Amino acid sequence: MTTRPTNPMPAIVAHDLTKRFGDFTAVDGINFEVRRGEIFGFLGPNGSGKTTTIRMMLGLLAPTTGSVEVLGMTVDGDTAKIRPRVGYMSQRFSLYNDLTVLQNLRFYGAAYGLNNAELEIRIREALDMAGLEGRENARTKDLSGGWRQRLALSAAILHRPETIFLDEPTAGVDPISRRAFWDLLYKLVAEGVTVFVTTHYMDEAEHCHRLAFIQRGRIIAYGSPAEIKERMMRGQVLELAPSNAAKAVKTLRAAQQAGRIPLEEIELYGSLVHVVAPQVKKHQRAIRAELQKAGIHAGQMSLIEPSLEDVFIACMKH
Amino acid sequence: MIRRIIALAKKEFIHLRNDWWLPVFMLVGGVMELMLVGWATSRPITNLPLMVLDHDKSAASRSIVIALENTGTFRLAEQVEDMQTIEDALARGQINAAVIIPPDFAEQMNSPTGQPVLAVILNGAESIPATAALRAIEGVTRDVGEQIVIRRLGLDPDQFSGFTPRLRVWFNEALSEALYTTPAELGLMLEFTTLLFAALAFSRERELGTLEQLLVMPFSSMEIIIGKSIPVIIVSFVDFLLMLGMVHVAFDVPVRGSMALLLVLAFGYLLVELSKGLVMSVVSRTQHQAFLLVMLFGMADFMFTGYAAPVEGMPQFLQYFANLVPAHHWLTIFRGILLKGAGLDVLWPHVLALALLGLVIGTFSLRFVRKALD
Repeated sequence: MTTRPTNPMPAIVAHDLTKRFGDFTAVDGINFEVRRGEIFGFLGPNGSGKTTTIRMMLGLLAPTTGSVEVLGMTVDGDTAKIRPRVGYMSQRFSLYNDLTVLQNLRFYGAAYGLNNAELEIRIREALDMAGLEGRENARTKDLSGGWRQRLALSAAILHRPETIFLDEPTAGVDPISRRAFWDLLYKLVAEGVTVFVTTHYMDEAEHCHRLAFIQRGRIIAYGSPAEIKERMMRGQVLELAPSNAAKAVKTLRAAQQAGRIPLEEIELYGSLVHVVAPQVKKHQRAIRAELQKAGIHAGQMSLIEPSLEDVFIACMKH
Repeated sequence: MIRRIIALAKKEFIHLRNDWWLPVFMLVGGVMELMLVGWATSRPITNLPLMVLDHDKSAASRSIVIALENTGTFRLAEQVEDMQTIEDALARGQINAAVIIPPDFAEQMNSPTGQPVLAVILNGAESIPATAALRAIEGVTRDVGEQIVIRRLGLDPDQFSGFTPRLRVWFNEALSEALYTTPAELGLMLEFTTLLFAALAFSRERELGTLEQLLVMPFSSMEIIIGKSIPVIIVSFVDFLLMLGMVHVAFDVPVRGSMALLLVLAFGYLLVELSKGLVMSVVSRTQHQAFLLVMLFGMADFMFTGYAAPVEGMPQFLQYFANLVPAHHWLTIFRGILLKGAGLDVLWPHVLALALLGLVIGTFSLRFVRKALD
């Protein structure tokens, strides 16, 4: 990812942001900064505090302690000044399913105070962006996930917000539609919009300019994907293509536990296996021998660049 | 501001049109229920099946059976020969009443010191027909008793004048039940319609997950409340007008008082129920929950309207409590204007009570809902 020129004033700043529900701490004193005009990814497994954080940033939920600033304004009881300047979209709940495409867009436009002439132009643009020309009068619930999601994004930016919050925008959408969606996000960022996006898809993390990885309410990794990989990865990743990947993982884990091979991680990646260790190449021979004993052909082995998924699996375990 | 409110109200109307079954159900269902209640109660109770076990089989016993039939309340279902048949028929619910005439009935009637007895069994499981049957039997026995007394005293029946009340029923000359039940039903229908539509206003969006989106839009909480209320007010009020027209045409329910006053007060009452409904709406997570809350509070109110049982007959503290129920005052006002032609000069205590309750409930609701939406 190339570094981008940034506006000196950040779009979002969280200071020791904390939210407790009774005894449960959903968000535990997190700090982060989102620069203007970047795609900031907020990653984490389900239930890690992503949605709670986004709700606090939108003023839907008051923080227990700490604060959050959006576009230089502190989010508290009075969010009237902030709301017209931000957009919000969640994949499942942004649109009224019983309304048509056009009715949804009209409602959004009117809610944000666009006059009729403006609204008609913006609606044309939105339909063009979502690729929904000619389907203006289709019921939203009849659209497939990908269309609905692009429509939701078009609606969320109808009023030209400076910052948009996307809560799991691509959950449950097919890979091709996800790809098309991210292309739209890049276009928006090119126009200067700041994008804050939560996701639990690891592959999407690579597309972000910077990101925070949240687990059990705490940020455990923060920075650009390259920085995170460098800082967090304990060792190198060796990719194996054994004849029986699942059995290979079991065999290697047994060897690791018995202390025969000092490996940090052994993970299944489809039909491949990733093993992680400092100077992992040294163990190549031992691995091959161990698999041979179990009747598995080790196959091709190559040192690869760690993916963020490798990094996060490593982070989550330590 | 106005533009945003209109946009929201418009959206709500589109939901109503898409979910057309709900308003149609409320409208058609309401009208149908009114029709049924009206028809079922518009005529006095007649033709209750009656069984007779006549051990006497005399002219006197036959004449008492004919007198019972002539009241119109009864229809002679069967003359039977044994008690068992009566017991079975009562148990099966085939008859509402049975009369057993003892063997010495005629003898006791005719003897100067006789004490004629008539045994009557009523089906108390159906209390309303039983009450009607009791009244008819009491009427017949009173007449016969009077004749016996006159005869034994040797008086001329034409000259005798007993003690009879000169009865005149005001406001509902024919004592038609429909004039009592249909306005009460209609008044309650206004409550339920308003409560239900109001209760769905927020619970629907919360259930579908769209409420958050609405809340992050630049609507003020006041704009949301107004925008959501407009369709509820319009639908409920139109529903009320249609039902009022229907009972007027179908059951001759009159509007003897001022129509303008009625409409103003109906509108005011609607706003009170709207306030209640909106509170139920924001505390509910699903439409189901909201619906159950409406039923719970609606049925509780129903007990204090005096429709099912007169409030005057309730324990004292419940009577005081009834004064806190807006529907209680509303039904008093509604019936007063329709049947008695009453105006503000008479109804003012109830109008005042309704206004005060409305003020308290409305203020609470507005604060509560705004807080929930912020």
